[in-house]
Amino acid sequence: MNPPPETAALDPKQAEREAIKDINQDYKTKFGFNDPETGYVYKAPKGLSRKLVEDISEYKGEPQWMREFRLKALEHFLARPVPQWGADLNQIDFDDIHYFVRASERAETSWDDVPEDIKNTFDKLGIPEAERDFLAGVGAQYESEVVYHQVRKDLEEQGVHFVDMDTGLREHEDIVREHFASLIPANDNMLAALNSAVWSGGSFVYVPPGVEVEMPLQAYFRINTENMGQFERTLIIADEGSAVHYIEGCTAPVYSTDSLHSAVVELIAKPGARIRYTTVQNWSQNVYNLVTKRARAEADATVEWVDCNLGSKITMKYPSVYLMGERAHGEILSIAFAGNGQHQDAGGKIIHAAPKTSSSIFSKSISKDGGRSTYRGLLEVAKGASEARSKVVCDALLLDPESRSDTYPTIRIDENDANVGHEASVSKIGEEQLYYLQSHGLDEEEASKLIVNGFIEPVVKELPMEYAVELNRLIELQMEGSIG
Amino acid sequence: MADHIVCTVEELPEGARKIVEAEGFLIGVFNCGGELLAIEDRCSHDDGPLAEGELDCAAGTVECPRHGSIFDLRTGRPKTLPAFAPVETFPVRVEDGQIKLEVD
Repeated sequence: MNPPPETAALDPKQAEREAIKDINQDYKTKFGFNDPETGYVYKAPKGLSRKLVEDISEYKGEPQWMREFRLKALEHFLARPVPQWGADLNQIDFDDIHYFVRASERAETSWDDVPEDIKNTFDKLGIPEAERDFLAGVGAQYESEVVYHQVRKDLEEQGVHFVDMDTGLREHEDIVREHFASLIPANDNMLAALNSAVWSGGSFVYVPPGVEVEMPLQAYFRINTENMGQFERTLIIADEGSAVHYIEGCTAPVYSTDSLHSAVVELIAKPGARIRYTTVQNWSQNVYNLVTKRARAEADATVEWVDCNLGSKITMKYPSVYLMGERAHGEILSIAFAGNGQHQDAGGKIIHAAPKTSSSIFSKSISKDGGRSTYRGLLEVAKGASEARSKVVCDALLLDPESRSDTYPTIRIDENDANVGHEASVSKIGEEQLYYLQSHGLDEEEASKLIVNGFIEPVVKELPMEYAVELNRLIELQMEGSIG
Repeated sequence: MADHIVCTVEELPEGARKIVEAEGFLIGVFNCGGELLAIEDRCSHDDGPLAEGELDCAAGTVECPRHGSIFDLRTGRPKTLPAFAPVETFPVRVEDGQIKLEVD
């Protein structure tokens, strides 16, 4: 971001502060707009019903087994009470939500074909630039349908499928049917049941044996309609010996009424395969972000979740890895930033279910201005999972006395040769650290930012560079005005 | 190895199930399209009851009512997470008009 000309005469620190202030003010302009709701082809009335679910399935032309799956999921959802063990979900009015909206007729294949107002939205968010520079393929989701999807020729030639989930079901029904809901059944929990009933969009990725996808695959999601619910469903299958990195980054405009985002993501890493799934979540602070993410790693396979939670009013998300084959490896790297009015309830679960498996969980959370961050984790070594090795580190940083941090780690070990380490810390910014940095010319705000950046650095360094840059900017945004 | 009498043949028509206790196990006995199958009444995910879940005779599976894991009645293995460890299955036969369970 370039500072306006009149600040060029200021010293660099001053100029940088001006530039960052502009980011803060621009948020509403840059991210807080919403397009007029003209031109929508189909918008479901509010609320959930059997008829709505049937309509969704019929509208998408789905096979009978998927329609039955949805309807059964709806029954499970309606029978389940709202979970009370996590963040406070009692304010959600499930009857006051639009569960399905379709923004255009079909998935587009080039930016030129995308309808103008939708293109403007994503142009503002900088997606075409990113696509030109760097990416192997981009899926852009507007409302409930994937508007644009382009897979680069070299990927197609390698047999890599990267399409929206609806298309995946249509064109690769056998693979989808074999794996869909094999990790997260419809009745796994209330929000998974809801997603299973009304899911729309999301990504389907299949990587054939031995293929390593060099460029990260990306998808952008966005909620636009007031009271819109977002229920994307993603399924990623990395066949034997293959490797893929998938990135999702989210933005949403600012609204006064609540939005619900309940996604389901299933990752399957076959023997020797590697999957990394990176998320930078920046929903505006009226969104409920309630997500079920689960991975399965077979022998010699690796799954890594890199999970950054900055936005939303409430996030509940605990990515998990089931280590099902010998020498499988799982990693969860997680950052949560909870500011005023936010509750980030995050963490991770690793289940060692085979011999010689290894894992690590690295969680960094920051709370400020009365924000609340929670770590909920499970480290399980099941019977038969001999020679398991695991390390869990969860660190919390409290920036002021009004903020809150909770840690609920669980360790369950059923083998007596497991090597499991657990470290947890809660800290505030040290007076001595601040003093040291201030004595080197930084003011208190800059010093705090530097310390916070250092705190989250072990996770941020795992992000692709442009995400690391964006994340650091977003953290600085959140830090604005935290001093004085 | 002991034989446990579950019930008479008439008392377990197609699609029906009975839950019995034997040798410290709780066992669900099912009549799937004429085939008799018996599985431990325990989901290995949380050790809670399994056999009262939804039965799919065509697939030969029962679904755990709490989190949806689908168990194969013939092998005792879960076909979906969150369960991953198998549970016991037991041979069932009909003898003298009675359904008998073999439990170790």
